[in-house]
Amino acid sequence: MRFLTPLAALAMTTAAHATDIEFWYGNTGSNEKAILAACEAFNASQDQDHVSCVGQGSYEAGMQKAIAAYRAGNHPVLIQFFDAGTLDLMLSGAVIPVSEAMPDAPWDSYIPGARAYYETADGKLFSQPYNSSTLLFYTNKAMLAEAGIEKTPETWEEVIAAARTLKEAGVSCPFATDINAWRQIEQFAARHGVPIATQSNGYDGLDAEYVIDQGIVAQHMNNLADWHEEGLVRFDAETKAAKYNAAFSAGECAMIEGSSGGYTSFTEALGADAITVTLPPMYEGQTRHNTFVGGASLWLMKGHDEAEVKAAQNFLDYLRTPEAQLEFTAATGYLPVTQSALDLLESSGRADAPEFATAGPGMETLGAPGNADTRGIRLGFYVQFRDIFAEETQRAYNGDITMDEALANSVRRGNELLRRFEATYAAN
Amino acid sequence: MTQSPFRSRLIALLFLSPLILLTALFFYWPVAEAIRWSFFLEQPFGGGSTFVGLANFRRVLSDPEFWKSLKLTGIFMVTASVPAVLVPLVLAMAADRGLRTSRIARNVLVWPKGVAGASIGVIFGFIFNPFVGILTPLNQLWPGIWSPGTDGVDAFITLIVANLWNGIPFNFVILLAGLQALPDTYSKAAALDGAGPWRQALDIRLPLLAPQLFFVLVLEFTESIINAFGLIDTMTRGGPGGATTLLVYKIYADGFKGYDLSGASTQTVLLMILVLLIAAAQFLLMERRVKYER
Repeated sequence: MRFLTPLAALAMTTAAHATDIEFWYGNTGSNEKAILAACEAFNASQDQDHVSCVGQGSYEAGMQKAIAAYRAGNHPVLIQFFDAGTLDLMLSGAVIPVSEAMPDAPWDSYIPGARAYYETADGKLFSQPYNSSTLLFYTNKAMLAEAGIEKTPETWEEVIAAARTLKEAGVSCPFATDINAWRQIEQFAARHGVPIATQSNGYDGLDAEYVIDQGIVAQHMNNLADWHEEGLVRFDAETKAAKYNAAFSAGECAMIEGSSGGYTSFTEALGADAITVTLPPMYEGQTRHNTFVGGASLWLMKGHDEAEVKAAQNFLDYLRTPEAQLEFTAATGYLPVTQSALDLLESSGRADAPEFATAGPGMETLGAPGNADTRGIRLGFYVQFRDIFAEETQRAYNGDITMDEALANSVRRGNELLRRFEATYAAN
Repeated sequence: MTQSPFRSRLIALLFLSPLILLTALFFYWPVAEAIRWSFFLEQPFGGGSTFVGLANFRRVLSDPEFWKSLKLTGIFMVTASVPAVLVPLVLAMAADRGLRTSRIARNVLVWPKGVAGASIGVIFGFIFNPFVGILTPLNQLWPGIWSPGTDGVDAFITLIVANLWNGIPFNFVILLAGLQALPDTYSKAAALDGAGPWRQALDIRLPLLAPQLFFVLVLEFTESIINAFGLIDTMTRGGPGGATTLLVYKIYADGFKGYDLSGASTQTVLLMILVLLIAAAQFLLMERRVKYER
């Protein structure tokens, strides 16, 4: 085998100049199937490059393995990383910004809401947006109708009024969510136009500090705690399905706030006609700003030869085509994020098809007017902060501490992380 | 003085070298690396590191979260280890008495050893599920009384029970072997003097079993600190609200989920010192009372 491999490789390069590259991704389930389908379609579309797509089980595991592999020098050239790791990767020195590697690609076609998240303050785009999701609001039509609710709630006030009606009608789980910071504060703060940390969520400097213990964010968190106490809001562990989105699929919970990427799994379980998918709720009297793009993006890693980088770029080019984007959207519920893909969707006349149901509200919330605080999250060790936030607020929901104490603790521990991150990268 | 079976020390070393190499590669080298990183601020992707002296230790030692997880580790060590020795002790004594089912029990009780910690975690996760597990009837009587997903104490109890189940086979085997090696002349002599089964167990078997008990207790104390990881990762993930974030899980979460290699290394060094201290204390305080000669 050892003698054969170089020979075989030689035979292949002389025959077709094929370059084999590896691509690591983290998704599972129906989203993984769509990624593998895209890989196959790319390999079938040409015989110059061959990409092997390798699943890592989850975003977090993918990041962990990438760190270990990069330190050992056997990392692949192309890796999908999740939103929360953005700043860690930008400062890692391990990646090549895509706008530098591929200056001629049509980066301007990306809608600002999807692009700003992965872009530095001076306009350098680090990664190519891939499976882009955002927060949407889902309801189970039948459950709402049975309780006599005619209109899909649009504001938090209406959501909670509906939840009370549902509870009175005997629904054990009117509104479900989880304690993840992505849902509770990131997307909430963005669409209400406020930051979660100073320096525009870190975009303007590493010396940012968390501010989630004040303003409308703190008010909302306190409301959630009250509504939870009242039995209107349920979290993962309090549902029979043990997960808010699975509980929605199972028809246990009537309303959820969830990723657009979950849409396909909901329609598979309940049917496309049985649910509504709309913009995430705002508080009355607030102006709607854009939500953040969630999900993950594709990063070019350093340390590979020209041929491999070129092959990776070809794959990125392929994934960026409007056709490939729409294919992926139809299979998953993730959003098309370039203007060209949206144009194609419009001109193809499929915009009203059920498999593109998330595209409408998704683009509306991603494309809402933004400000300096709604570009994204640019905070160090942010993955750990999400865990801290979950831990502290869980204690508040259990009644061990008040929500204000939980938020104050999160800010204190989060700021310690930020200062350590600053010190870790001070040498750069 | 005994004759060495090998002609020269070199040959002995040669035979030992695979093991030495493995230990060095998978234990001493990572330990050395952890100690080194505990004095640096290390970037996750290896971009650069800054020497910070004892700053990492100062930070960790002044962090209330570290002390909280250390306290939880201590509580777990005592509450999980003691039943994990006592229950197998009772079982071993029963099996040793040659009761009707003891032959079967001797086999069956060893089986759990074949199940990995992570699998045990998954299984007990189901068993203790508040909606479909064995305690569901409790929740029907008093809604919300059993909720390991939201109640820290409930979650802690599930860990202790799973750890106990995990510890039974090994401790049972060691204690039973110890009991069966006891010469029955003592028991017979005691029986002649009118000692009943309870008196024999307390005054003869237990003292003579001291070496095995000591061994099992030392192992269980140190193991419970480290081994809880598999159970925590599959059952509670340190939650709810950090109620089961023992130090060993906090190190994993900080290092692998938070990319804080320096903080995780510093806590690893501290945990290592702690385990050494506990083992040393046990040897100093307890071993003097253990008589190995019979």
